[in-house]
Amino acid sequence: MVKYKLNNTPAMLKPSLGELVRSSFHSIFKNKSRTFLTSLGIIIGVTSVILLTSIGNGLQKYVNDQFDSLGSNTVFIVPGQIFNDKGGFNNSSQNRLVTTRFSLNDVATLRKGLRRSQILPLSQAVVDVKSGPILKKAKSLVGVTSDYGAANNALPSSGNGRWFTKDEEDKKSNVVVLGYQIALDLFPTTSPLNKKIVIKGKNLKVIGILDKKGSTFGGPSLDDFIYTPIGLVFDINGNQDIQSMYVKAPNKDLVPTTKDEISKLLLKKYDKDAFSVFDSSQLLSSINAIIGTLTIALSGIAAISLVVGGIGIMNIMLVTVTERTREIGLRKAIGAYPNAILLQFLFEAIFLSCFGGLIGIMLGSLGAFAINKVFPAIVTPGSVLLAFGVSSAVGIIFGVAPARKASQLSPIEALRYE
Amino acid sequence: MTKLSSKKDNPKVILELRDVVKTYTTGNTSFNALNKVNLSINQGEFVSITGPSGSGKSTLMHIVGLLDIPTSGEVLLNNLDIAHFDEKKLAQIRNVTLGFVFQQFNLLPKTSALENVMLPLLYSDVPQHLRRDLGVEMLTKVGLADKLVNTPSQLSGGQQQRVAIARALINNPKIILADEPTGNLDSKSGSDIMAFFHQLNQKEGRTIVFVTHDRDLANEADRIIIIKDGQIQIEQHPRHVET
Repeated sequence: MVKYKLNNTPAMLKPSLGELVRSSFHSIFKNKSRTFLTSLGIIIGVTSVILLTSIGNGLQKYVNDQFDSLGSNTVFIVPGQIFNDKGGFNNSSQNRLVTTRFSLNDVATLRKGLRRSQILPLSQAVVDVKSGPILKKAKSLVGVTSDYGAANNALPSSGNGRWFTKDEEDKKSNVVVLGYQIALDLFPTTSPLNKKIVIKGKNLKVIGILDKKGSTFGGPSLDDFIYTPIGLVFDINGNQDIQSMYVKAPNKDLVPTTKDEISKLLLKKYDKDAFSVFDSSQLLSSINAIIGTLTIALSGIAAISLVVGGIGIMNIMLVTVTERTREIGLRKAIGAYPNAILLQFLFEAIFLSCFGGLIGIMLGSLGAFAINKVFPAIVTPGSVLLAFGVSSAVGIIFGVAPARKASQLSPIEALRYE
Repeated sequence: MTKLSSKKDNPKVILELRDVVKTYTTGNTSFNALNKVNLSINQGEFVSITGPSGSGKSTLMHIVGLLDIPTSGEVLLNNLDIAHFDEKKLAQIRNVTLGFVFQQFNLLPKTSALENVMLPLLYSDVPQHLRRDLGVEMLTKVGLADKLVNTPSQLSGGQQQRVAIARALINNPKIILADEPTGNLDSKSGSDIMAFFHQLNQKEGRTIVFVTHDRDLANEADRIIIIKDGQIQIEQHPRHVET
């Protein structure tokens, strides 16, 4: 005969936490397919939230890295008003039609006004490029100065040739520096160095290949650009228009004053809406704000499926409570007080939901890992915690109603239930 | 109505009902399932409650089992009026003082006999490390030491009811309440179960109250309470009844 003495201080929680966990585990795994199907909503919801936030995070990091490589002392001058008053991008379509073109005079004005800064004009042409039998259509030919490469950390690394010289710039020599990707596209099997490519009937010699700048997303990639002396692009375009300018301030701290001076100089000639002067941090914070908003919005949409999943859990828990009415009656008869029943069913709901959450986190992380091969995606501990927190919250919120229903059943009616 | 004294010398009243009324109201009509019932059960007594269906014997059983509270009147357990205790306190008393045996066994499906027997301990203060041993001891006592891991579907009806009895006994209750305990069993298993109840009553001195509509079974008790239309008609000692 087992002899025992009851504790003088009875346990606060009967059954204990461990027993609640164990019995929830037991009962949700008694019905595996139902458990899986019930959790599916949460699994899908959490997977998509994890995927979307990791893509958002990856994108943000990618953009930040790109800007870092441009240097934080760069000021950009572009036509039109690209920022609105609130610091976001201007979405008014009229401004897109602004066709301001800067000229060599503007470059000279800026060079005179900002003696300590480096002014880098850019003139672009969209051209078809041929290399032997290979034809690549609509590629960006970027006319720049001889100091552009060094100023933008874009010099070919050793063994990959060189940037063009001041002399070549002045003479409009037929030389090009290829971006990493376009070089691969035009010369898939051989080294492009000292080979010829043909643009608008001109034979251009490849003198340098740039390092990879990063993976591609949307829009044109820096890796797809072909750089050449600016005069050459003027000839191809048939004018001397300059689409944009980079200004390298002497250091990061002088960026604001440099911006002010540029604006002052340009306002003498242009209307204030005709151009924008901004630095990378400004652009970066705007882009980050957009990516952040997009990520939240997309995750919010994905979170709808968490709510749907929660309703699924509530539904199945209501079914479970009905199915197990007699069990509830029995438990009450043998001493389960209402809160013990409430906790039991609440734990089951939370378990279902967390089970879905964990699988979702696993699938989402695997998915993000796979996506990262082609598109930047980073799973952060924050998003994992958030997903797990949200799924347990869903379990609690949607588990309360069925659990309350169970706890309030009358023991006699529950025992009589057929 | 005079109460019959127990066969024991100094009978101690363990459970007493005083003027208990239970009224069920459906819409505008109300119906007295129990009408001024007075009843006292002594410690160590073997009592049967019988009567035609709809007589109120189940309601009486529920009141005695603290599963239901009377509309009016007093329910005294060990001289303590529990009629107006809250559900949490009642659950605690049911857990340690009462053991239930049902007609339908009410075992948890897909759950081993041992775990079924240990179920009431979940809601008790019995130390964790003793629970398994207690469960094994109870199953051994009902002769199912070899069926610890079997689930109810792997057991016969009689075996299932013995698991249920082991479960009722695990908290060492003073009173065993059985509602038609043999109703779902063949006569052989039924008489085994009854024999076991007698043994619990005689050897361990447990108070046994059982409900049956079977007069022969009812006659096995020390005292028969016959209930009809919500009132106790006769309380008699079976030896005074001609069968």
